[in-house]
Amino acid sequence: MWMAYGFMMPAAILVAVLMYWPMIATVRESLFTTSFINPKPQFVGLKVYADIFSDPVFWQVVRNSIVWTLGVVLLQNVLGFFIALLLNQHLPGQGILRSLILLPWVLPGVVAAILWRFMYDPQLGLINSFVLRFGLADRGIAWLADPSIAMAAVIFVAFWKGFPFSTVIFLAALQNVDQEQIEAAKVDGAGPVRRLFDVIIPAIIPVAVVNFLLTTILTFNYFDIIYVLTRGGPLNSTAIFPTQIYEIGFGQFRFGEAAAYGTLSVVILVMIVAVFMLIRRPLLSHREV
Amino acid sequence: MTKRIRYPLLLCLQLVTATLVLLPFFWMFSVSLKPATEPFAIPAQLWPDNPTLENYILALRPEFQRYFLNSVIVCGATLLITIPLALLAAYSLSRFQFRLLSVFLGAVVLAQFFPAGAMIIPLYKIVRSANLLNTYLGLIIAYITVTLPVAIWMLRGFLLKVPKTLEEAAAVDGASPLRAFFDIVVPLARPGIIATSVFVLIVTWQEFLFALSFTSSKEMRTLPVGMNDYIGQYGIRYGELMASSVMISLPVIAIFFFLQRQFVAGLTAGAVKG
Repeated sequence: MWMAYGFMMPAAILVAVLMYWPMIATVRESLFTTSFINPKPQFVGLKVYADIFSDPVFWQVVRNSIVWTLGVVLLQNVLGFFIALLLNQHLPGQGILRSLILLPWVLPGVVAAILWRFMYDPQLGLINSFVLRFGLADRGIAWLADPSIAMAAVIFVAFWKGFPFSTVIFLAALQNVDQEQIEAAKVDGAGPVRRLFDVIIPAIIPVAVVNFLLTTILTFNYFDIIYVLTRGGPLNSTAIFPTQIYEIGFGQFRFGEAAAYGTLSVVILVMIVAVFMLIRRPLLSHREV
Repeated sequence: MTKRIRYPLLLCLQLVTATLVLLPFFWMFSVSLKPATEPFAIPAQLWPDNPTLENYILALRPEFQRYFLNSVIVCGATLLITIPLALLAAYSLSRFQFRLLSVFLGAVVLAQFFPAGAMIIPLYKIVRSANLLNTYLGLIIAYITVTLPVAIWMLRGFLLKVPKTLEEAAAVDGASPLRAFFDIVVPLARPGIIATSVFVLIVTWQEFLFALSFTSSKEMRTLPVGMNDYIGQYGIRYGELMASSVMISLPVIAIFFFLQRQFVAGLTAGAVKG
C-alpha cells in the first residue's frame, strides 16, 4: 500500500504541477489581456474570445488545422499501410529497407524541415530540377511561397517524416495475422484482393484505430515542420494552432490571446477525436459480424 | 494477376519506396560534401565533382559546439530524471489496483496528449517567475512534460509482461518488496528501460517549441533552435547547413541503429497489444 502510493507520488506531483495546473491556468489566462506595451494583465472576461471569433484569421487557422491534420493522417496511414503490405512480401533487399525505413522518423523535425526547405528551393532544389528536367514546368515552382500549394507542400513533408512509424506498427500487426486464416481463404479460392479485404484488414483494424488516433493527436499538435518551412505563411495559408499560438504569444507577447487560442485548440482537437470515435464504432462492430 | 507481372511490379514499388525514404538523405549528404566554390548546377547535380569535408570544418564553429553541449546536458538530465520516476510510477500502476491509482493512470494517459501549445503560456510564466528562463533547469522542467507521461505508459506496458510470480517467490524467501523491485523487476525490465530511453532521447533531441520559447540568449540555445537560427544567418550556404544537419542527426541515428531491435520490439509491443 505505502509502496503503491510512494512509488507513484513523485511522478504524480510533477504531472499535476507541470501539466494539469498549466492546462487549467491557460483557461484563466485567456480571460485577461496583456500586450507588449501594457504587460500588466487586465481582466476582460470573454472579450478575448469575442475578438477572436470575429477575426477571419482564426477561422482560417481552424480550417488549416483540419486540412493539415486530415491530410497528414490519411496519407501517412493509408500509404503507410500499403508500404507495410509491400514490405511483407519477402522481396529481395527487404531486410535492409526495413531497417532503414525508420530513418525519416528518427531525423529531428527541424533538420527534416531544413532539408525539405532546400529540396523545395525554387532555384537549387532537387524537386524543381526534376520538374525542369522532365519538362513539367518551364521554370522552378515556388512550392513554399505560393499560398495555393504551400499547404500541400508542408503536408507532404510531415507525411515523409511520419509514415515510417505507421508502416512499422502495421508491419508488426501484419505479422500477427493468423496465417491459417489466410491459407484457408486461399483454399476457398479468394484472390489477393479478397484476402486483403476479408481477412487482413479486419484483423488489423484495432491496430489501425490506435494508429489513426495517435497520429491525429500528434499531427494536430505538431509545431516544428510548419514553423521552419513557412512560419504559417504565405498569407497565413499554413498557419495552424501551434504556430499561431507561438506567433501571438512569443512573437507579439499577447499572452491572453495566445492562451485563448490554446484553450480553443483543445476544444477543436477534442471535437476531431469525437468525430473519429463516432466513425470508429461501426468499423469495430463490423468486425464481430 | 499472374506471378510474372506481379513480381516486377512489386519490385518497382519497393524501389520507389526506397527512393522516397533515402533520396533526401543522400542529397543532404551529397550537398554537405560540395565545396563552397563549386557552383550549384541547374538542374541539380546528384554528386559533387570534388567532394570535400571543408563544410564540416566550417560548421564546427564554437557556437555549434556550444549548442551541442547544451543539447547533451538538457537531454541527458531529462533522461536521468524521467526514467527512474517513470519506472517507479509504472511499477505502481502495473502491480496495484487501488481506485486512486486508476485515476492516476487515466490522468497520465490523458496528459500524454496535452497540446504543448495549450500549456506553454502558464508554463512560461512559472519558469520566468522562478528566474529559470535561459537555464538548463528551465528547459529540463519543460522537457519533463513531454517525456514523463509517455515514459510511464511505455514502461507500464513492459512491466505488465514481467510475471508477478517471481516477486511472490522472493517474498516467500523473505525479501522485502523493495528488494524484490530492485533485484528482480528492474533487471527483467531492462529491454523496456532501454527502448523507453531511446524513445525519450529521440523526442528530446529534437524538441523545438519549448527550447525556442524558453531561451533567448545564444549561449543557451539547443541544437534544433540553433539550426533554425542558421537559416537566417547562413541561408544560402546550403553546404554548411547540410553538414550541420548531418552532425546533428548522427548521434540519434547511431543510438537508434545500435539499439534498433529492442527499440522496435518495444514500440510495436506497446502499440499492437496496448
